[in-house]
Amino acid sequence: MSAARDSLQAQFAGLLAWERRKRLEQTTLVMAGVAVALAIVLLPLPGYFPLLGLRWLMPLLLMLLIAPWFFHRWRWRQQDATRSMVELDKVLQLAERATTAWELSSRETTNAVDELVFKQTQERLHGFAARRVFPRQWHWQSYSVGPLLLLWLALLWFEVDRSLVEQSSGAPPSLAHKVGEFSRELQEKAKSEGLSESLKAGQELEKMARKNLEQKSSEEQLKQELAGMAKKLEAAAKSGADKDSFSAGESQQALQDLKAELEAARDLLNFPDAAKGSQALPQQWMDRLASLPQLKRQLDKGAQAGSGFGPNELKSLLDRLEQQATGELDRRTLLDAQQYLEQMTKSGQARRNENDPRMAGRGEQDGADDGGVKEKNHSNLPGKEPGKKDQGGLPEFRGGAETQVKGLLGDGDSNAVGVKGKPVPGKSTLGQQEVASNYRRQAEQELNSERVPEALKETIRNYFLSLENSGPTK
Amino acid sequence: MESVVDIEKRIEQARRTFDELRSELGRMIVGHAELIEQVFIALVCGGHCLLEGVPGLGKTLLVRSLGEILNLSFSRVQFTPDLMPADITGTNMLTDDPSGRKIFEFQPGPVFAHIVLADEINRATPKTQSALLEAMQEQSVTVGGKLHRLENPFMVLATQNPIEMEGTYPLPEAQVDRFFFKLLMQFPSRDELGRIADLTTAAPPSALREVLDGAGILEMRQWVREVPLAEVVKDYAVRLVLSTHPNREANHDGASLARRFVLYGSSPRGLQSLILAAKARALLAGRPNVSFDDIRSMLLPSLRHRLILNLEADAEGIGAEKILNELVAQVAEVE
Repeated sequence: MSAARDSLQAQFAGLLAWERRKRLEQTTLVMAGVAVALAIVLLPLPGYFPLLGLRWLMPLLLMLLIAPWFFHRWRWRQQDATRSMVELDKVLQLAERATTAWELSSRETTNAVDELVFKQTQERLHGFAARRVFPRQWHWQSYSVGPLLLLWLALLWFEVDRSLVEQSSGAPPSLAHKVGEFSRELQEKAKSEGLSESLKAGQELEKMARKNLEQKSSEEQLKQELAGMAKKLEAAAKSGADKDSFSAGESQQALQDLKAELEAARDLLNFPDAAKGSQALPQQWMDRLASLPQLKRQLDKGAQAGSGFGPNELKSLLDRLEQQATGELDRRTLLDAQQYLEQMTKSGQARRNENDPRMAGRGEQDGADDGGVKEKNHSNLPGKEPGKKDQGGLPEFRGGAETQVKGLLGDGDSNAVGVKGKPVPGKSTLGQQEVASNYRRQAEQELNSERVPEALKETIRNYFLSLENSGPTK
Repeated sequence: MESVVDIEKRIEQARRTFDELRSELGRMIVGHAELIEQVFIALVCGGHCLLEGVPGLGKTLLVRSLGEILNLSFSRVQFTPDLMPADITGTNMLTDDPSGRKIFEFQPGPVFAHIVLADEINRATPKTQSALLEAMQEQSVTVGGKLHRLENPFMVLATQNPIEMEGTYPLPEAQVDRFFFKLLMQFPSRDELGRIADLTTAAPPSALREVLDGAGILEMRQWVREVPLAEVVKDYAVRLVLSTHPNREANHDGASLARRFVLYGSSPRGLQSLILAAKARALLAGRPNVSFDDIRSMLLPSLRHRLILNLEADAEGIGAEKILNELVAQVAEVE
């Protein structure tokens, strides 16, 4: 065997080893890119398997999964070796000398012509370095691996996979999320109704939920904290209960109506033409006060209704009534919150609708009521404004011409059940005074909710007063 | 046993001989450098050439000059419709022997020469044309039941005029396939025309110098066959020939033109011509091995007369050259 042939064989072997290595690197990189891309596409998949750390190992597992196909598809073949040799001839302009010499060198016997081919090829390959002539060349697939990996890491870091799993499976939000949502609604209600204790409780609950989410602590720990909170709320509700208060036996709606009427009554007292300083209010104002049913009932209870009321006494009475009504509403809200937290603590899956703080007090109070259809006071709901269509209302009532049923007025507790029905064409059977009174009450509640600009409040009050004074019409 | 140095010497000698031949022919023939190279390649490969070109381009002059340079016997046969086979091969004549008895004696025809110029071969009848078949393929003729060997080297250079088709007999496919190359003589360029005018209207040039003899040609023929051919290069040639066939099963790389316009593709003889010519080209270039470029360069002369095109190709004016050029562009060197 000639020296030229030996030398060439070594050079060819080096070239082919380098090309094989490049192929292996290229295959691995492309495989990694495909694996990461697949991991991004299949991002929610690990969420369905309760294996620790699976989400971080997905690219590796996918890579192992697709590796056989890739390594088989891009395996090194004889054709690749031939292609490398032809490429060598092309780059160095050897006119296929290298390819011919490579083939001839694998034969057992050679002749003088073959040796000449070896010689000429060796001369032209003097100083040939495969790595220099054929450096690594990265394709776009290789360059895409890095960005894909970063994207995948970012998606995992921001837990996009978990949120996707939750969305796709329709799973309920975590306990902390539910508590957070509940606390925000509680605060919203407390702010709108001026319930200080409930507001504090809502803030405290929100802190608790946020802390749990930030520290990623377990649900069990949160349940323990919620149980403690529930006890605290129960204690606060009990301590706030006023035995002598009239409000304990009132329904939630009655209390809310009373609050609205108290506000309206206070405004009546502030009218400039009110007889300030006199010992007794004029009969006209007393009549107006009497048109506020809840307030009238409370005045009747106290047997203080009459012309002997002076403005100062009336003011102090209104303050006391408002304080009691607000305190009772606050207490009921706290109790509802406590019940909700207890249920959460027990099951962690408390049904939201049954514990909606916006319905606080109704369950407790109305449960003792008769089985009539209850009227929702939607004007109290957050975000609810007059004139807006309500999507959460009661089922449509398709009764006759009668659209409101009132209870009997007299001593003792009474319940008024309003049934809203679809307006039907024809003459109304309700008196204008009655209708105007209802609308005025609703308007007063809206005025109290501070959504109405201060400058317009007076105009609205005057408008409803003018309606009442305009006299009955058909 | 030959050494590497011997091989280098003979390759160098082949290259130098070709250069000298080209130089000598250049004194008589203006231009046509590629054509001269291809004729010489056919000669050292032992093949025959079919020269096609309009009258007056120097076909006959080229062949005659070649005979002079090679110091080989040269004969010319002007093919006409009334030419008989015996006019080419020779015939037995009734003569008197020295004792006075009447005997038949074989009188060799013009085919008994080293280089035979079959001028305007398509003007003779098919019967006469076929008289050349045995001579071209077997290098022998049979007259009166007796086989007569032709001299070696033997080469037929036939010419035909592509424009005068009236009164001609197109060569049968079997005979066309026996030509190693089909070469086209192109009309000279402006400069070449000027040089032709100078050369032919002045004093005639001195006699051509002998460059190569018959023995030298036979030796070179052997050298050509010893040029090594890499498998991948051979496979490229094979795929090129296969791709001339419209049949899809045999034609993996076939171009759309070949599939549409070719009735029959190249015969295996076309592949032999292609590879042998590529080897000769490598040798004349002073290279001990065949390259892809050698294959590509020899594709047109080797295969252009071996593609049988259909009527659609005729109607659309598609020639074999166009199809082969498309194949070269589409068939990859390495599969």
